[in-house]
Amino acid sequence: MGGSGTSINAFVDDWPRCHDGGVPDDVTFEAGAVTQPATAPVTGHAVGATFTGHGSEYFRIWVVNVLLTLLTLGLYSAWAKVRKATYFRRNTWIDGHVFDYHGNPVAVLRGRLAAVVLLSAYTWAFQFSNAAGVLTVTVLCATGPWLFMRAQQFSLANTSFRGLRFGFRARAGEAYWTVLPVLVLWFVPMVDAAFMRGEAWIYWTPTVVTIFAWPWMHHRLKAYQRRNAMYGDRGFTFTPATLRFYAVYAKGLGFVVLGGALAVTSIGVAFAWWHGSRMLLVPSRTEAWIYGALAALAFYVVAWPYYAARLQHVVWSRTRLGEIHFRSEIKARPLLRIVLKNVGLTLLTGGVYWPWATMAMARYRIQCVHIESGVPLSALAASVAARPVTAAGEGTTDAFGFDIGL
Amino acid sequence: MSLTTFCAFRFDGRHAEAVPVIVRLDDGDLVVETVDGTLVDRNRLHRTVVSEPLERAPRVVWLPGGAALEVLDADRAFARELASWGVRSSIAVRLQQRWPGVVAALALIVAMLGLFYFRGLPATARWLAFKIPPRLEERMGEQVLRVLDKHYVRPSVLDVERRRRIAERLSRAAAAAAPGVRYRLEFRAAGNEGVNAFTLPGGVILVLDGLVRFAGDEDAVLGVLGHELGHVVQKHSVRQVLQSVGVGAVASLLWGDFSGVAASVPIVAGMLGYSREFEREADEFTIAFLRAQHLSARPLYRFFVKVHKWQGRPEDGRVPDFLSTHPSTEERLDRLRREIR
Repeated sequence: MGGSGTSINAFVDDWPRCHDGGVPDDVTFEAGAVTQPATAPVTGHAVGATFTGHGSEYFRIWVVNVLLTLLTLGLYSAWAKVRKATYFRRNTWIDGHVFDYHGNPVAVLRGRLAAVVLLSAYTWAFQFSNAAGVLTVTVLCATGPWLFMRAQQFSLANTSFRGLRFGFRARAGEAYWTVLPVLVLWFVPMVDAAFMRGEAWIYWTPTVVTIFAWPWMHHRLKAYQRRNAMYGDRGFTFTPATLRFYAVYAKGLGFVVLGGALAVTSIGVAFAWWHGSRMLLVPSRTEAWIYGALAALAFYVVAWPYYAARLQHVVWSRTRLGEIHFRSEIKARPLLRIVLKNVGLTLLTGGVYWPWATMAMARYRIQCVHIESGVPLSALAASVAARPVTAAGEGTTDAFGFDIGL
Repeated sequence: MSLTTFCAFRFDGRHAEAVPVIVRLDDGDLVVETVDGTLVDRNRLHRTVVSEPLERAPRVVWLPGGAALEVLDADRAFARELASWGVRSSIAVRLQQRWPGVVAALALIVAMLGLFYFRGLPATARWLAFKIPPRLEERMGEQVLRVLDKHYVRPSVLDVERRRRIAERLSRAAAAAAPGVRYRLEFRAAGNEGVNAFTLPGGVILVLDGLVRFAGDEDAVLGVLGHELGHVVQKHSVRQVLQSVGVGAVASLLWGDFSGVAASVPIVAGMLGYSREFEREADEFTIAFLRAQHLSARPLYRFFVKVHKWQGRPEDGRVPDFLSTHPSTEERLDRLRREIR
């Protein structure tokens, strides 16, 4: 029976009556369910996530998306976004089943148009007049946390697994309280620059505070996202880890300094050798550009993999869904290899490698996540029910689709 | 009637349970039965939503009423069965499934981007630059000047009389070469005796003391200011801003969700590429400007030669920025040499 890939008929005795299309070979099942029959001693139940997205397929999706987006002067980008989001979810497997996406492209388009209006207002308002600037800042302050909350809700409520939607407990008060420190630190320097002719201390204090408070604020946002996430009628929980965030950021900063110093020194030495002179100290403008680009690249290549790996690890290991634990085995070194390859080949191919790069990154990050529980997952799944639908809930979620990636 | 049945999982949308079912297509109906043969759903195919086929993902079918099927279809048998019942994919899907279509799409994209970059964008930016309210443009210029004043430049220390003379000569020449064009001349000094002059949005021409001293000859200074006035007349700085915004918007459409850094690379390249075209236009204006004043282009030519020599000795530290984003100096010198003869 069946074609390529693993047969899944072992699940059900009577099933061989039908044609088994099979699943890709790399999809894993709960230990004890398929690969190891009942004889294997099973104490805990664990399963890894699998990602079956592929560069050559994603490349073709990307090309068609870009073409249609250009032909429609950007309008198709909402449909493109939905098709991309769907592609990622349908290729993410846990225990033989995939995720699914239900986002409405028209809602995404409305959200994008609103975002374009808000962003242009933010960019240009102060150049037009101070009154227009203050109005924009006020509108952004007033709507920002609400939009952030809605973005979480839109993304989760439109994602499903085993027929049940994820969800997000959207409470405006909590959203405003969570985002408040970020808003204050963001807008004070801007308003100051416009009105007080840039009083130095008002300008610098928030900047310094932002640097020291950033891990705390990032943790605050992550904790907010995780503790309000739902799957069916079950809520996720998150154990706070503020100090761990500070540790990750401190070490990440070390890598930035290290990477930056390495890049600048090696390039400086190369320039000095090239000119046989004192160029190291006085770079021309072109060379200053090269320095800047290399420092940014060094940050991306050296520091980011560490930072992303550690943060994913901290966040997942503290997230729970009832009896289910998560474990992220993401490691900085393999991630660094992937990033190096991605950056190198993307630059070499003038951007064409991009879809393969995206897939390689997604595969590694998704396949590092493991799901564990003391009870068989299938038994757990049977006990989860859909969240009761409230009258107002459905419509508002679909009115505007924002995506804010954090 | 079809005889092929397919293994699938059914989710009722109310519980997370995955129920193994058998799916078959029967006379345009999608029929779902449990493994022991009990009928669960029977729907006309067109009332269901069949997901777009992906190479390695199961085919998902949304049924009316909120249930969903996951049909495992790594071998495409279910896809063939659907096609035989007339289930068609969208144009986008059909295009992306075949490489020839994808290659044609890619060629079309490259052609469209080329057309946009070399024709559409410059034309749109030019049209917009002359449409936006002058007040907005002036505020942009003021804002840039404020930032420059705060962090990069100091008040000019040039002799007041000399500044007045330069300003007066420029205003006379501007009235002749570009009547009615609003500009504002500002003198500033930079930290490292920078040899430079630039134009900001709103017609602000900023000239550094270093340039006036370096040039020596006031006719040469007037030539440089004529070049900057050319930028003002053509509204180059606003057009530059608009063009880089346009390039940025398209770049973020292409690569935005991969990395902001990758998306910003074309912006820089675009800015460098465009200024060459603008510099040529400004140079042409300079020549007309000097002619209107019955001035020789020779002092300006000598100034450029001098700058060119400085460029050859970058280790000096006092690097003239004036030519850094400009067309090749040889090309400009050739143009001026022709004018002198």
